[in-house]
Amino acid sequence: MAELRLVGIKKVYDKDVVSVKDFNLEIRDKEFLVLVGPSGCGKSTTLRMIAGLEEITEGDLYIGDKRVNDVAPKDRDIAMVFQNYALYPHMDVYNNMAFGLKLRKFKKDEIKKRVDNAAKILGLEELLDRKPKALSGGQRQRVALGRAIVRDAEVFLMDEPLSNLDAKLRVQMRAEIQKLHARLQTTTVYVTHDQTEAMTMATRLVVMKDGIIQQVGEPKEVYDFPNNIFVGGFIGSPAMNFLNGKIEGNHFVMGDVKVEIPEGKLKTLRDQGYVGKDIVLGIRPEDIHDEPLYLKSSPETKFSAHIEVAELMGSEIVLYSKVDDQDFVARVDARFNATAGQTIDFAFNLSKAHFFDKETEERIK
Amino acid sequence: MINQLRKVYSTLIVYNEGKNKLDQNYKWFVTGNHEVIGIHEDELTSKDISLLEAFLVPYNIELPILTEEEEKWRQVIQSKEPTDNAFELDSSFRFVYFFISENQISPNLFNDAIHELFAKRVPILWKNGSEGIIIEKQQDSDENLSYDQIIDVLMSDLYVNINFFVGPFKEDLKEINHHFETLTNDAKTVFGYTNKPVVTYVDAIPYLLIHQTEPELRDEISKTILQEYLDDEDTLKMIETFVQCNLNISETAKELYMHRNSLQYRLDRFLEKTGIDVRQFQHAMPVYLAMLARK
Ligand SMILES: Nc1ncnc2c1ncn2[C@@H]1O[C@H](COP(=O)(O)OP(=O)(O)OP(=O)(O)O)[C@@H](O)[C@H]1O
Ligand SMILES: [Mg+2]
Repeated sequence: MAELRLVGIKKVYDKDVVSVKDFNLEIRDKEFLVLVGPSGCGKSTTLRMIAGLEEITEGDLYIGDKRVNDVAPKDRDIAMVFQNYALYPHMDVYNNMAFGLKLRKFKKDEIKKRVDNAAKILGLEELLDRKPKALSGGQRQRVALGRAIVRDAEVFLMDEPLSNLDAKLRVQMRAEIQKLHARLQTTTVYVTHDQTEAMTMATRLVVMKDGIIQQVGEPKEVYDFPNNIFVGGFIGSPAMNFLNGKIEGNHFVMGDVKVEIPEGKLKTLRDQGYVGKDIVLGIRPEDIHDEPLYLKSSPETKFSAHIEVAELMGSEIVLYSKVDDQDFVARVDARFNATAGQTIDFAFNLSKAHFFDKETEERIK
Repeated sequence: MINQLRKVYSTLIVYNEGKNKLDQNYKWFVTGNHEVIGIHEDELTSKDISLLEAFLVPYNIELPILTEEEEKWRQVIQSKEPTDNAFELDSSFRFVYFFISENQISPNLFNDAIHELFAKRVPILWKNGSEGIIIEKQQDSDENLSYDQIIDVLMSDLYVNINFFVGPFKEDLKEINHHFETLTNDAKTVFGYTNKPVVTYVDAIPYLLIHQTEPELRDEISKTILQEYLDDEDTLKMIETFVQCNLNISETAKELYMHRNSLQYRLDRFLEKTGIDVRQFQHAMPVYLAMLARK
């Protein structure tokens, strides 16, 4: 059983580089927690502080009930998997998995028991005497995971373990890691800068920017209710559209285009004094519609726009267009045959959209 | 500090690199400068020991016994004489400096793990319990791992942070003692300029050049080139990424999670304000050097 608690964690490298600050987070037992954010936001630094590979400048880290700031990494009961998860090239699969335990002077029988067990979980039983050279990419990745599994650790820490793989293998290994987690139920902290990976794998995700947590929540919650413009734009692909405009009466106004705001949202905006002010509308591409039926039932948010580019993605089309000279992207059903060069009607589903403060960029709640 | 301590503890000795064994009659400590010092037990009360442990790291690491080949290398490296023909080489080689930022790793374990990474046993010479060099022979094998990979493998087995400074390949032993000295000194400089865990000699050239220049010149370069951007961390970070992405706009925009138009716009502004167009290599290079000079 392992929960992790990060309390007021801060990391300062050599005097002036503050990489992580004000980091407060409880990671639940058995959770698959994903740290996600753009390059340099402090994901690896956070993970490495949990591992003990980087010193914690300020704050407390608990694994279970124990404060571990001063516990050496090897004594923290963690297993780590990194980006280049390479293997010892001259050892067979068995010994690659066994080696970490050998270094720690485990007994032969115990090593064998653990390696055999890991091999079984990962379907590597037939390959134990192969050298890495004679394995496929996916098999190698599984051996690398096996090297962590044999540790029997309370916590797995993974830093972008799939980022060096080609797209196909990445999808395959993503599923593999999820299966593994379902089976072993080991508390896992997983770092990625890929929001798709974060969305598909996480029980909860932590979105970071500039060393600061922007939002913590279940993937769907973060997707549906982003705390701020950054999170809204970072999670989801194609990204959420952000359109500048003004609240006038019941309407959100972008130049010549006016769309009517649903009552509930309007009340919030009124109550907080946003009427007459510049404000940002955030709307996901799938909440912009062109189906005749939707257009008919939503005349109050309808406007027409010119399609600049149309990308067919199977059953859906991604349309690139402009309203009031501001770019937006819509993801619509391919059945309605929208093509580049046309001017067509669109309607916003504003009940699913959000408004953000133009200054603070926070979602108005 | 050592001299001050020596006034208090007359038996204080500094660990001699050539030796493998720590004298067990001494208590050993690592100083902030990674020097290993010993004080004879007779001179220490338990109160002294707790006091010393409050600001020095206790050290009780045995360095691996040198193999015959390692001993041969140690002699040329420490030689004061010309080393040209000290022994026959069977292939070209390079020194790979390593630094482990954890005082308590067992060098024996590190050696065991390193040997498993190469087809043939590589000589390893420890300078002290946290740094040393690997002497890597040039081998044509497609199975060799990169040093980045080696770090990840070792980190997951040994739970330590490792840095590598990979020297250039050498054909002969000419001035090898000098090469060793420079390389280990350069390594210290290099890791002050970058947070990459693996740096090759080629990567390090700009750092070494800048480091050699007089502080006044460094100051002048960074001020003259960067002008009002001198303290604009955001823009400088953007340009650094742009250089690391081979001046490729799309890649940089992606890396920084920025729209390519706003990247273009900010580069244009930089050009307007400074007259320097970092989209051209001959302009990007001095800006990059000026940023290093600022560090
Ligand atoms: N050893 C170090 N010394 C100084 N600064 C560092 C060091 N390691 C990281 N940093 C800085 O700390 C910040 C956070 O880095 P970190 O590696 O945690 O980011 P990240 O989110 O993992 O990014 P990426 O997606 O690129 O891996 C960056 O500004 C980085 O330059
Ligand atoms: Mg990282």
